[in-house]
Amino acid sequence: MNAEGLESFRDFVDSRSSALLKTAVLLCGGDQHAGEDLLQNALVRTAGRWQKIDEPEAYVRQVLYRQQVSRWRLKWPRREVSVAEPPEPAGSGEPGADTAAAAELRLVMRQALSRLTARQRTVLVLRYFEDLPEADVARLLGCSVGTVRSTTHRSLARLRQLAPELTALGPAQAERLESRDYSPVEVRP
Amino acid sequence: MNVDDIVRDALREQAAEQPPAAAGFADRVLAVRRRRRTRRIAAAAVVTVAVVAIGVGVPLLDSGKHDVRPSGGGGIVVEKKTKAHPDQSPPREEISVGGTTLAGYFIPDTVKKTAETAVYQRTYHLLNPRTGKYAKTVDWSWVAVAPGAKTAAVLEQDLPASRIGLLDLTTGKVERWIPVDHGAGGLAFSRDGRKLVATTYTKNPDLRVKTEGDIEWSPEWTSSRTGFYVLDVASGKGDWNEVRLASDDGRLGGSVLNSRQDFALTDDGLHVWSGNPMGDIGKEFWDLKGNKVPTPAKDKHLQWYVDAGKSPDGSLVAGEFAGKRWKTSSWIVDAATGETTEVHGQQLLAWVGNKQLIAWDIGKNDKSEFHQRLVLVTIGSDKETPLSGFRQSDEGIEGEAGNAGNAGRWEPVFAQP
Repeated sequence: MNAEGLESFRDFVDSRSSALLKTAVLLCGGDQHAGEDLLQNALVRTAGRWQKIDEPEAYVRQVLYRQQVSRWRLKWPRREVSVAEPPEPAGSGEPGADTAAAAELRLVMRQALSRLTARQRTVLVLRYFEDLPEADVARLLGCSVGTVRSTTHRSLARLRQLAPELTALGPAQAERLESRDYSPVEVRP
Repeated sequence: MNVDDIVRDALREQAAEQPPAAAGFADRVLAVRRRRRTRRIAAAAVVTVAVVAIGVGVPLLDSGKHDVRPSGGGGIVVEKKTKAHPDQSPPREEISVGGTTLAGYFIPDTVKKTAETAVYQRTYHLLNPRTGKYAKTVDWSWVAVAPGAKTAAVLEQDLPASRIGLLDLTTGKVERWIPVDHGAGGLAFSRDGRKLVATTYTKNPDLRVKTEGDIEWSPEWTSSRTGFYVLDVASGKGDWNEVRLASDDGRLGGSVLNSRQDFALTDDGLHVWSGNPMGDIGKEFWDLKGNKVPTPAKDKHLQWYVDAGKSPDGSLVAGEFAGKRWKTSSWIVDAATGETTEVHGQQLLAWVGNKQLIAWDIGKNDKSEFHQRLVLVTIGSDKETPLSGFRQSDEGIEGEAGNAGNAGRWEPVFAQP
């Protein structure tokens, strides 16, 4: 990388690393250190091809997602994710009871998310955090729309299993699918 | 409120709490990149030196002190002696403890076939029981070693294969071929070595593909697994049993298995099982005819990605990474009660009797999770005996992360006594 490249790489990392790190940490189920490692690896790889890349952010993100789904087999510490103790459930009559219950539910969800497989979590992060349509998720991960759909469905089912507190909640859009998947399955060019 | 709302809110809340990336992140990345490049050059230098050392070392070491194993003769002779080579990685001379033998290892590599396809290829180095040395062979895409480490079942290159070879590890010759109508992609022996399970696929389960705009090879997300044979090793006879993929039976979704997800026999030989990473309990069980059965009680703690499996007496199950008491440790699970204890070792590979295991572990104060060597660990003990040299950390290879196939890595194949 020449001096100009180095400078533009530094600028890119300085301006975008905080946003990228958020995604990386979510992909790692809230594990800050694992997220930093994931992002660092993706950026090292990006640096190696810096001058050939047109859209660095899109490139880094794709490396992040793919690296994460291919890393899931790694037999390495799933570091325990520390989550603050959920607040005591407030009495239903008290003001703010709903907010407390909702906050508790989010914490439960966070813990459940950290226990999904990387593949399951990646699909949920792409669908619900990055708000990407199924076709874009499929393109990014290099799989079919049908696989994205079934993975989303199974991941949500797994969350319900991990956190029985969610039973009372209504089904997600993705869970209201017909029992048979008629979607086109191949999106590769 | 729906589940997806909570997922969305939980993820956003978690993201909002993230502290920004540390200042100087770019410099850290650039420093890592420089270090990796230097290490890559250094690694190449080390390899050259090692080759020279072997050339000199072999005549000196090969002075007839091996040859302690009986050549054939039926009865199982369990060697109590520990053979360790903490200076060798990959090993050149036999590593074994209490009869559990490193029967071979393979060096993985991703070999490009076309612009869009590649194959994850294993180059095996198999132990010759007569010489006590590991010798390279390029004939096989898959090798399963029978207990006793004298015979192996092999598949030729270009999976799925139409025949299974039974290889005599002493002579290096195939003694017998078992033809199969359904192409086999993976093999596993039963615990007693009398049966062989062959997993059948319609496509090469080691195929790697590159998709739009991608720079690295990845396994296909779809599975082509069709079923399994349970073969009697002595006669070569056995039926093929179809196991349909989830997507075939009218339930929702495409197949979500890994492209390679092989079957194996349970230790009691009564069932066939395989991992099912996206399933509710991560594994599935069938009877020997391919009928789905509920999880047998004593097998419910098995994890398909933990190679060691159950202890020879069936009372304990090797579990996944723990990391509670020590930086690197694994769970040992009581097969009956599910009670867990911790044992040293990052990844449990093979049992040595019912109290000890061979594992991968990193060195003390080692920072890299990939810089591992084979060690002997004992339940209830702090002692860890090195058995091999350290594998080169694959951080040294650019363009690869995690457990993709790289130069400098070797993957062990163990045989029970």
